[in-house]
Amino acid sequence: MALSNDTLKAMMRELQGFHLSDEELERIRPELDHYLAEVENLRELDLSHVLSARLLRAKDGGQA
Amino acid sequence: MSNLELLTLTLAELAAKIKAREVSPVEVTEAALAQANRLQPVLNSFITLLPEQAMRQAKEQETALARGEYRGPLHGVPMGIKDNLATAGIRTTVGSKVLLDHVPQEDAHVVQLCKEAGAIILGKENLEEFAAGATSNNPHYGAVHNPWALDHIPGGSSGGGGANVAACVTFASLGTDLGGSVRLPGTFCGVVGLKQTFGRVSQRGLMVTSFNGDHIGPLTRSVRDSALVLQAIAGYDPLDPSTVPVPVPDYTASLGRDVRGLRMGVPSNYFFDVLDSEVEAAVRRAIADLEGLGVEAREIALPSMQYAGALRIASMADSVVTHEPYLKTQRQAYGPDVLYRTLAGQFVLGRDYAKALKVQRLIKEEHARVLQQVDFLVTATAPIPAPRIGAPTVTLGGTEYRVRGPGSGLIARNTSPSNATGLPAMTVPCGFTAAGLPIGVQFIGRPFEEALLFQVAHAYEAVSPSRGRRPDSMNTEIPI
Repeated sequence: MALSNDTLKAMMRELQGFHLSDEELERIRPELDHYLAEVENLRELDLSHVLSARLLRAKDGGQA
Repeated sequence: MSNLELLTLTLAELAAKIKAREVSPVEVTEAALAQANRLQPVLNSFITLLPEQAMRQAKEQETALARGEYRGPLHGVPMGIKDNLATAGIRTTVGSKVLLDHVPQEDAHVVQLCKEAGAIILGKENLEEFAAGATSNNPHYGAVHNPWALDHIPGGSSGGGGANVAACVTFASLGTDLGGSVRLPGTFCGVVGLKQTFGRVSQRGLMVTSFNGDHIGPLTRSVRDSALVLQAIAGYDPLDPSTVPVPVPDYTASLGRDVRGLRMGVPSNYFFDVLDSEVEAAVRRAIADLEGLGVEAREIALPSMQYAGALRIASMADSVVTHEPYLKTQRQAYGPDVLYRTLAGQFVLGRDYAKALKVQRLIKEEHARVLQQVDFLVTATAPIPAPRIGAPTVTLGGTEYRVRGPGSGLIARNTSPSNATGLPAMTVPCGFTAAGLPIGVQFIGRPFEEALLFQVAHAYEAVSPSRGRRPDSMNTEIPI
């Protein structure tokens, strides 16, 4: 997945209300690249069997 | 007893002397303040020193002792508090310019508990801006320096606490740990750092915190000291819904128990995949030392950890939500590392956030299964020793890694998973590099079984090559 600078600028403008310069986007880019790499890593992972649970329980290794 | 001898005591040793009236709270507080004043220009470990308040508290605690009101092991003990924990009437900056003049009206719950236990609050300790990073190189309050090598970072984000405990300025410091921020200063500064089970300690009064996985924990010079501080701050807080109403055991009761027959899980993947060679050698020696104590080593696999990087996706989204109130109006007051790392969270899609939460659950379940086969896990705390202050990158195995700001994450690689699982984890010093930089070994346990971690860590501490070592930067007599 790739996100263009124009898309990123528009998102920031609409959602946070301020303008990002090209230089600022370049400074954000390493974190964004990390995010996109992790998204790619998850692409083939089947998570449909993972159920929600919230509480840790003592004595059973944390199995909820 | 000289001031140097006094300040190099452990908290437990000092507590025994205070209880026996051999050392007074005023005497030790004066010595600690002198040490703080001497080393502040060198370490830059405090944002706000509190000499008048500390001396007032010390006199109050001395008077209480004279009345026969001994409040326990923290009575009269000088401590440091990370500057993201609220202190009533004392500015709490969170290491930021945004909150430069912020003065909370109430103490954080843990601060209140420490005060009630008789602790002396020496000052508010320097940290990474908004506690969001692992270097403690703060753009507004200056870099904290590592007492073992002044041109190296102390780790972060609780770097002031790690430096102060290592340099014997404080006997304990309270830090906070969202991805390793107690354990990383612990390993880089050669002290003990604990992140207890999520829900064991109230987070009330921890400021600008994440919705997912922040913890308050102690930095100390010994495992026993860590147990004593946790004893004082652990427990259910009806005003913090994240705390769990489970009994708090006597944490010192397990210290000294035989560790023979305990089963130690050594991960065959992820935790040992990216490691500096000197760090790996020290941790393998620690594993051998534990085996020498009768602990059984078992290789275990954590295949879901190949997706651990996804945990960062949830953190990114959480971070931008946490900072949203400030970003719109005070963006210019941020340092670039935190600002641009935080802004990236704006672009996380809901789909990916939901996947990250599922991955978190997957990893949590896998740890739970493994921790039914073994009693605890052992890993390196950080993959590398402390980098130099200002170094933008480090190279490991031919790969260049960013140390701070957007795209960084190597330093917290081995610690941040325990924030996602909520499992207790602690770092204990396990030796030094050839250049004299401390190395730490991390023990990870089952939920609410901090006592077992203390048992293991205490046994290991007695045979660790780090035992008895102090940084040169504090090894001179301290005039008062």
